[in-house]
Amino acid sequence: MNTVEILKQYIKEELMNGAGGDLDVNENLLASGIIDSLGVLRLVSFVEERFNIEVPDEDVTLDNFQSIQAITDYLTQLQSA
Amino acid sequence: MRISLPQVLDQAAERYPDKEAVRCNGKALTYAELQRRADALACLLQQQGVRRGDRVGMFMNKDLESAVTVYGIMKAGGAYVPLDPFAPVSRLNFVIQDCGIKVLVTKPNKLPQVKEMVAETNLTTVIGIEPQANLGVQCITWDSVVNAPPTARPNIHVIEQDLAYILYTSGSTGTPKGIMHTHRSALSFAEWAADEYGLTSEDRVSNHAPFHFDLSTFDMYATAIAGGTTVIIPEFVTKFPASLSKLLQDERITVSYSVPFALIQMMERGVLESRDLSALRWVLFAGEVFPTKHLRRLMQMLPHARFSNLYGPTETNVCTFYHVNEIPQTDEPIPIGIPCANEEMLVVDADDNPVPPGEVGELLVRGGTVMRGYWGRPDLNEKGFYRRQVFGFYEDVFYRTGDLVQLLPDGNYKYLGRKDRQVKTRGYRVELDEVEVALLSHEGVQEAAVYTVPDGEGSNLIEAAVIPKEGVELTPAMLARHANTKLPHYAVPVTIHVMRDFPRTSTGKINRRELQALSMKNGASV
Repeated sequence: MNTVEILKQYIKEELMNGAGGDLDVNENLLASGIIDSLGVLRLVSFVEERFNIEVPDEDVTLDNFQSIQAITDYLTQLQSA
Repeated sequence: MRISLPQVLDQAAERYPDKEAVRCNGKALTYAELQRRADALACLLQQQGVRRGDRVGMFMNKDLESAVTVYGIMKAGGAYVPLDPFAPVSRLNFVIQDCGIKVLVTKPNKLPQVKEMVAETNLTTVIGIEPQANLGVQCITWDSVVNAPPTARPNIHVIEQDLAYILYTSGSTGTPKGIMHTHRSALSFAEWAADEYGLTSEDRVSNHAPFHFDLSTFDMYATAIAGGTTVIIPEFVTKFPASLSKLLQDERITVSYSVPFALIQMMERGVLESRDLSALRWVLFAGEVFPTKHLRRLMQMLPHARFSNLYGPTETNVCTFYHVNEIPQTDEPIPIGIPCANEEMLVVDADDNPVPPGEVGELLVRGGTVMRGYWGRPDLNEKGFYRRQVFGFYEDVFYRTGDLVQLLPDGNYKYLGRKDRQVKTRGYRVELDEVEVALLSHEGVQEAAVYTVPDGEGSNLIEAAVIPKEGVELTPAMLARHANTKLPHYAVPVTIHVMRDFPRTSTGKINRRELQALSMKNGASV
C-alpha cells in the first residue's frame, strides 16, 4: 500500500468508524468534523508509528494535517530532508 | 445609554468606522462594513417575515459572516440561535423544532446537512444556499446581503428586555435545553467585562469559543463596546496547538479567553517557547477548573500577561471573577473570586436556608447577567429558580447554580464541585471532584476524570480515567496506591483507566458522560 492508501484506510476505519464513502485526498478532514482534538493526536501518533518518524510539535499544524494530500506532502518533505 | 447589542455595533461604527471590527482567515471587516452588511441582512430577514422575538438559526463554520449573522438577526428584532456546526443533524433538528426556527442563516458548504434539516423540520427560508439547490423552501444567497445598497436600514424596535439569543446546552436528561438571554443580560456581562479588563479600541481579542458557547459573547460584544478588534479563530486552528499559538503571535492578540483545556494543550504542544506573545496582556479562562499546577506553569511561561478566572454557568453569563495576581505556591485550587458588579450571591443549604459564612452550600445568583429562563420548559424554570419573598408581596429571583461553594475569610468564593456530582457509593457519600483532585495530585498525572458506573445493585461504583504526562508510564495500580493515600478507602476508584486522551464536548470540556458510557459498554462485553 502506498502512503495515501495507508492514511485513507486508517482515517476511514479508525477515525470515522467505517462511515463515509470515498474520501478524497484533498478533502478537509476537519471541515467535515471527521477529526477533533482527540483525532488529531491519534492521527499524529499513527503517522509516527506507521512511518517510523518523529513529528515535532511545531509541525503538528493545520497546514500539515488538514487533508490526506497535506499529510502525504508533509511526509515526503520530511523524508527528503 | 445602551439598550441592545446591535446598538453596540452602531455606536462603534459611528466612532470607529474604519477600524477593523472582525478578522478571520486573513480577511477583515471594518465597523462601517460590518454595520452595512448586518443592516442588509436584517432588512432581508424582515422581508422574509422575521419579527421581534422570532428565533433565527445560525449554522456555519466560524468566519466573518458569523459576525454579520449575529448582528443581522438581532437588528431584524430576532433572537439568534447558534447551531453547533459539528453536531449530529438529528440533535440540531430537535433544537430547530424546539424553539420554532423558521429561518436559517447558513453557508453553501453546509448544503448536505441543510437538506436534512429542511426535510425534517418546519424551516421556510434558508439564507446562504443557492435557489438552484431545489430545497423546496425559499433560498437566498449571501450575495444579496453583500451587494445590498448602503442605504438599507432595518426598521427595529427592540428594548433591553427582548430576547437576544438562545444557547442550547445538554440537559441532565439528555434533551438539550435553550438558555434565553435578553439584550440586558448580555449587555450586563459585556459592559462589566469591557470595564473590568480595561478593553480599548487598541485591543485585539481572540474568539476561541464556538458561537453556541457563552464565552463567545465576551469576544464579540465586550470587544465592540470598546471599539476593539475581534479575531475569530476558525475551529480547525483550535485543534492544532502549534497553529493556535502562531495565530496568537501573528495576530498580536492582546486578550485571550478560552477554556483551560485549550491553554493546557497550547502549553504542552504549542511550542510557546518559540512564539512571541508579548502583546498578550490578559489571559482569561472559564468553563472548567484550571488545575493549579498547569496554571502555575503557564504563568511562568507568560510572565508579562495577567490571568483571570471567570466563573458562571451559561445561565448567568459570568457572575464571579478572580484575578490570579501571583503565581500560586501550592496546588490548592484557585478561588472563583468575588461577585461581578450588580450581582448578589446567596449560599444555601438543602432547605434553601442561608448557611453561615464559611460553610458549604449551593450558590444562588441574582443580578443583571442572569438569563430570562429556559425556552419552553416551565418545569425547569420552576426548579431552576429560587424566589425570595420580599415584604410579603414581591419576590427576588435567584438562579440555582447547582454548584457548591464556600465563602473564604478573604471574601473570595471557593468552588467545591457540582451539587449533583455528589454521589453515594456503597452507602458512603463521595464528591467525585474530590477524587479527581486526589488523582491530579500525583506528579505523573496530566488530567483525570472521575465518574460513576452502576454496580447493578442500585448503587454506584467510582471509576476514573487518567491521562499521564508525556513520557510518564503509569499503571492503574500505581494510581490506586496514590489515591489510597489521599482518600478514604470507599472513595478510591475501583477501576482506573490510563488513556491517551479523553472524549471532549464540542466546547472542549471533558465528556465524563461519554467516559461512563464507554466503560459500561466495555464492561458489558467482557
